[in-house]
Amino acid sequence: MIETRGLTRRFGERTVVDDVSFDVPAGMLTGFVGGNGAGKTTTMRMIMGLLGVSAGEVLWQGRPMTAADRRRFGYMPEERGLYPKQKILDQLIYLGELSGLSTPRARASATESLERFGLADRSGDRVEKLSLGNQQRVQIIAALLNQPQALILDEPFSGLDPTAVDSMVDLLREETGRGVPVLFSSHQLDLVERLCDRLVVLRAGEVVAQGGVEELRARGPERLRVVTDRDAGWVRDIAGVHVLDVDGAEALVELADKDERASDAVRRAILTAGLDRGEVRELATVRTPLSEIYREVTA
Amino acid sequence: MNHPDASDTTETRPAERPWLLVARREVVTRLTDKSFLIGTLITLVLLVGFIGWTIWSEDRTERVTIAATAEDATTAQLLQREIPEVDDGLEVELVEVASDDDGVAALEDEDADVLLRPADDGWTLVGRKEVSGDLTAAAESIIRDATLTANAERAGTSLAELRQGSTVDTALLAGDAERQDFARAMGFLLAFLFYFAALGFGYTLSGSVVEEKANRIVEIITTKIPVRQLLIGKIAGNTLLALAQTALIVAVGLVGISFTEYSSFLSGVSAGIGWFAAFFLVGFLFIACWWAVAGALASRAEDLQTTAAPLSFVMMGVFFGAFLFEGTIQTVASYVPPFSIVLMPIRVLEGDTAVAEPIIAIAILIAAMAATVVLAERIYRRALLQTQGRVTLRQAWSAAD
Repeated sequence: MIETRGLTRRFGERTVVDDVSFDVPAGMLTGFVGGNGAGKTTTMRMIMGLLGVSAGEVLWQGRPMTAADRRRFGYMPEERGLYPKQKILDQLIYLGELSGLSTPRARASATESLERFGLADRSGDRVEKLSLGNQQRVQIIAALLNQPQALILDEPFSGLDPTAVDSMVDLLREETGRGVPVLFSSHQLDLVERLCDRLVVLRAGEVVAQGGVEELRARGPERLRVVTDRDAGWVRDIAGVHVLDVDGAEALVELADKDERASDAVRRAILTAGLDRGEVRELATVRTPLSEIYREVTA
Repeated sequence: MNHPDASDTTETRPAERPWLLVARREVVTRLTDKSFLIGTLITLVLLVGFIGWTIWSEDRTERVTIAATAEDATTAQLLQREIPEVDDGLEVELVEVASDDDGVAALEDEDADVLLRPADDGWTLVGRKEVSGDLTAAAESIIRDATLTANAERAGTSLAELRQGSTVDTALLAGDAERQDFARAMGFLLAFLFYFAALGFGYTLSGSVVEEKANRIVEIITTKIPVRQLLIGKIAGNTLLALAQTALIVAVGLVGISFTEYSSFLSGVSAGIGWFAAFFLVGFLFIACWWAVAGALASRAEDLQTTAAPLSFVMMGVFFGAFLFEGTIQTVASYVPPFSIVLMPIRVLEGDTAVAEPIIAIAILIAAMAATVVLAERIYRRALLQTQGRVTLRQAWSAAD
């Protein structure tokens, strides 16, 4: 498990990352979200030891993380970090060797990954000849070459088409299956929602929310959708309900009280009132989209 | 690391001597770069061509056709006989013409190179557009001697008597003039080679540093190996390449010279060339550190011109210093890095140094290099991850890690 404790980074007078503490548990995909300039990249660079920390620390398996630990991590920088003019296989072997693999092992590992991504026939091409998506694939191969014990990926999905996203997801799932903690940043919230086991939300250098996606969702008020056979405007008269939207026979409401007994009572009140006026075709809990949660916590 | 690793899945160890991997990549990348190979080849071809031309023109004899009328045949024959004796690069053929006008026609038709024409007070050599300076000089001395001999006989004396006490010769206390000139030329050539290599490989080195920065691959590399190892590897790789290329050029040059009339001077300059090799090695390491820093201060290839400009000026200063510094300034500068890199070997070549002098100068250079590695590493490390535009030396120096 990776833990950051009170991680802080100042550039001169400016505090870019402020007292950031979060966990990246083993075997879980942890999504790292936040607007531009929220401090995601700076935090990841501090975790990877590329930037010094102004205060705080990074722990690996409960003790301060060392350079030797980081050498066994897979890291993908924000922009594609490869030599554009070097041949793909040569480049992967070089990076594997720098990670401490022997040349034959680096070659075997790189060849295998290239085959897996359908890039085996391009292994003699220069990186700049590849499409953006394929360059991204080579990058993830580079990060996985030495069977990393943790993965830190800065925007791994940017620029990928849906198929490439899927194969990347499969790959990351495989890694978490091995018990590897994975931290990845992204601004594609729908993707993060679909993928992650956990979420860390950063705003202006501070962690504003973290936890499981369901956990975060549960924090907000419950939402209900009511569908009747006539105008649903009557929902406005029910106590304990905050009406978000009424559109003809359909209404979207938010329960004011999070208490379970109270919300059950409100649910019953809606149903009774609806049946008094006609039919109630649907009364369902609406899953709050992550983007909404994100907007709320970063507002 | 004392703690056992809970999730140890593979037995990778840190790469041993990772700078060697980096150096190897620098060398291989360069050796598979067509423009580098072609550039080296062209340099060698030009060098071989130049030496070949020198040897050829040394052995070559020029045939000159002199036109003269029957009346002037005696002088013309004298020239034909004597000119090859005076200048072994010249051979003369005679063409007899009926009149001066026919002679001019022969010149115009290119049947003759020169027309011998009597003048009021001696002779004129008429040419189309030019008359070879060698020919004129030879003809002048032959005709002067012949005339002087005739005039002397008429006056009842001899040429030898007339010439008595008029010769001027030169003598040097140390070596001879030709050998000195050769040492000097050699020194300038070696200074030029250093300039050529320091600038060429320096730009390559800083270019490859910027490339890594601009493509962010440096972020991946420095999570795997320490920044110092990366810096050492890049410097070692480029130094090796620069040394190898320069050694190749010098070797081809020396082999070439051994075929020329200067071959006898080679043994006299071998000590100087040996010192040059030593100074080049240390000097290139010294300067390469700064080229790496220049690269690290830039974020994109376009920035490099600005960040590397001061270094280019220093290189030019070193180069011109080799030509322009004389006397005390030369002696003092030959101890001061980076001037010492070329000035001390030049002084050794010219043979005006005591045994200890190059040893002291190279010790100073090694000390400067060691200090530079420490300074450069700090700047390099701090500038390397700043990818927003150019970084000033001051910013890089004072930046937090």
